[in-house]
Amino acid sequence: MVRQWLLLVYKIPREPTSGRVYVWRKLKQLGAIALQDAAWVLPQTSRTQEQFQWLAAEITELRGEALLWEADQIYATDPDSLRLRFVEPVEAEYREILAALKGKDRDLAALSKRFQDVQVRDYFASELGRQTRKKLLAAGGGACS
Amino acid sequence: MRWVTWENVGIDRIGCAWLILRDIDPLAEFVFIPRGAALPRDAEPFDIPGVRFSHHGGHCSFHALVEYHKLTDPILLRIARIIDEADTVQIVKLEPSACGLDLICEGLRLISPDDQSAIESGKIVYDAVYARLLQESR
Repeated sequence: MVRQWLLLVYKIPREPTSGRVYVWRKLKQLGAIALQDAAWVLPQTSRTQEQFQWLAAEITELRGEALLWEADQIYATDPDSLRLRFVEPVEAEYREILAALKGKDRDLAALSKRFQDVQVRDYFASELGRQTRKKLLAAGGGACS
Repeated sequence: MRWVTWENVGIDRIGCAWLILRDIDPLAEFVFIPRGAALPRDAEPFDIPGVRFSHHGGHCSFHALVEYHKLTDPILLRIARIIDEADTVQIVKLEPSACGLDLICEGLRLISPDDQSAIESGKIVYDAVYARLLQESR
């Protein structure tokens, strides 16, 4: 499977630690994956390109150094393993939502909110995501489910 | 004055163009260059990494324009927050309209033949957002 990726390599001063944490949290929120503790990777879309570009600019502002590449994967021991590293954590989150939906005192508003957050990181449009959406709609009840 | 930004405008650049024409430079002309291309000398760049009017401190370029020009209209600050939440990674999210406005702006670019038309159509969208937020604040 031919797929384009974005690679971000950065270095940021150790102090203040707030800057490091800030960048790390943003990478986590985007669902970026650290490859061999060296490069952070995201599938390339116009949105991820924009997000990584601005994060790189922020790192520079925090007196760090950032390099951002578009990359074609031309070899991998297991061609599908990188995709799976994005899919697996996302599907684990969907499964948590599905499990919580079965609970008695489920908080539908909170679960819907969580679903929206996970969707942002669901770069490969997981089938489990579609099912979770259906279950949430059904749980909401009413004629529009 | 001439203003320059990268092609393929989205929520932030459409908002910036609206704000520039409305409050900063009513006679503004816009130039669109490919991502990463050399900047023309006679134009003020915006929403391009590293320039004055771009993302700073986790805020969008619209925010940079508002701040630099000392615009104090609270509605503009609110719009800046909406664009911040749509266009940058934010931990705290308070503006549910951010995703909707982002979607509309992406769609605007898709139905517009070029960037100039997209920012022209974007004016009515931002005028509408402004009017609605103003009503809410009264």
